[in-house]
Amino acid sequence: MTTKTTAVLPARPKRTLFGPTLFRIEAIRQLRNPYTLVFTLTLPVIMYLLFGAFMPWGSELIGNGNVSFQVMVSMAGFGTATAMSSLCSLAASEVRQGWGRQIAMTPLPVAGYAFTKLMAALTFSAFSVLAVYIAGAATGAEVNELWRWFACAGIILGIGVIFGLWGMGVGMLLNPDSAAALASIAITLFGFFGNVFMPLSGAMLDIARFTPMYGYIALVRWPLTGGELGDGTSDPLWLPILSVVVWTVLLFALAYAGVVRSRRRA
Amino acid sequence: MTKTSLSSPPVAIDDPAIDISGLTRRFGRGEHVVRAVDGISLHIRKGEIVALLGPNGAGKTTALDMLLGLSDPNEGTLSVLGMHPRRAVGAGRIAAVLQTGGLLPDLTVRETVSVIAGLHGALHRVAHVMEQAGLEPIAGRRIGKCSGGEQQRVKFALALIPDPDVLVLDEPTAGMDVTARRRFWDVMRQDADSGRTILFATHYLEEAEQFARRTIVLDEGKVVADEPTAKLRSSLGGRTVAATLPQSGDADELVAELRNASDAEELTLDGDRLTLRTGASDELAARLLALGASDLEIAAPSLESAFMGLTKE
Repeated sequence: MTTKTTAVLPARPKRTLFGPTLFRIEAIRQLRNPYTLVFTLTLPVIMYLLFGAFMPWGSELIGNGNVSFQVMVSMAGFGTATAMSSLCSLAASEVRQGWGRQIAMTPLPVAGYAFTKLMAALTFSAFSVLAVYIAGAATGAEVNELWRWFACAGIILGIGVIFGLWGMGVGMLLNPDSAAALASIAITLFGFFGNVFMPLSGAMLDIARFTPMYGYIALVRWPLTGGELGDGTSDPLWLPILSVVVWTVLLFALAYAGVVRSRRRA
Repeated sequence: MTKTSLSSPPVAIDDPAIDISGLTRRFGRGEHVVRAVDGISLHIRKGEIVALLGPNGAGKTTALDMLLGLSDPNEGTLSVLGMHPRRAVGAGRIAAVLQTGGLLPDLTVRETVSVIAGLHGALHRVAHVMEQAGLEPIAGRRIGKCSGGEQQRVKFALALIPDPDVLVLDEPTAGMDVTARRRFWDVMRQDADSGRTILFATHYLEEAEQFARRTIVLDEGKVVADEPTAKLRSSLGGRTVAATLPQSGDADELVAELRNASDAEELTLDGDRLTLRTGASDELAARLLALGASDLEIAAPSLESAFMGLTKE
């Protein structure tokens, strides 16, 4: 095999992990996708208003703030989980349907594609958090110190990424229609057991502690509640942390299995 | 000379564009193993235009996938311009229009081209490739609203973005109407003149006949023919000779003789029109003319019949 090249290689971009044009067009694309707009931007705001601001108990005090603040961060967390899950399952389905082959013929490696898509999903999640926060600030969500707003947002976006792994795994393993349906239905179920919509108690709460969104939502609320639950009991800090660590490992394994399986098919 | 040739190296005839040896790819395991590609060796020089023919399931798509680094061979080696395929793809030296490549239906034509151009760091080429592929009039259209032929042209534009030295086309004109097909091959011809190496798989045999000087026929994962296209056509042996016979005893005698001749095949007599295939077309033509036959035609066999002959069991 010859290693001789007749001419100097023309200047080519180095392999990167991020595609700015891809990111920009991806953002435009999601902004005109009615599904994304409704489920990741509008729905969390509406749910916050229904379960928090418009409820008589919205201004009741809890931990370092009020119930409205608790509902606000919960819905922002749920919106982020929804956005990460649906956008990542969509991205995985696209890759499987042949767009991945077009991308594979560019200098951007698969990891770079996944990273760019993840950044786009995270940007959308940040918008979702911002929208709910604006609604919260306008309707009396309160906490005693300003830094707690930022702490909650940071926890939401930092840990919410793991639901992108869920979306990716489902998108890689199932056909596109089933993947989109399962990703969003499952997120709603996770949310219910994650204590997002109403405070669970008794046996339901015991089961809930083993589900994927429980630890995440508990940590999201931590700056407000310090682990205090609605029924007067409270969780020790290690419990939600352990839950998040275990589920991160499991969801990572799911996503990895999806990638391996789709490679074997190729 | 077009702009594209400026960044391409000068054509060096002996430099291999594609070098494949002993390439094998199996699917499945144990008793169910299928050898989709079974020991292919090929050497394609820079600037060559090569047609790849073969029935469905002959291994064309599998072979092209490996050439583009989209899958790895079980055995054998491949190199593109002396590089590993994945490196050549990453450097934009080889690009392809793939049948299995998909586009996103909710992006517009221009967005699709821009995304891929962005990943190649070649946004400045968007306008040029859109024009080359004739996409300007539909630039703002969503991919989902484009016809199959239009989507095919979008994929063609995507392949042109990195200004590749080697262009691989898998059924490039599938879904195009006759006008679009002609336009496509006109663009390709210009491209080929500027020194691009082109390897294309096609079902349309006339595309191979008109466009490729060399044709490779694959069947059941093996190369069954690799020859200049013109030679492949004639390798079936013989030409088809047709003539209108005069009303005479000599003519009847000739027909009777030809019916028993060993090198005359597929003889038909439709009224006074005689058609047959023979290896001795020149002598037969001379005799026919001497007899006073008219409307004489001599034709080489079509590639289609050569192809059928090569791939039938």
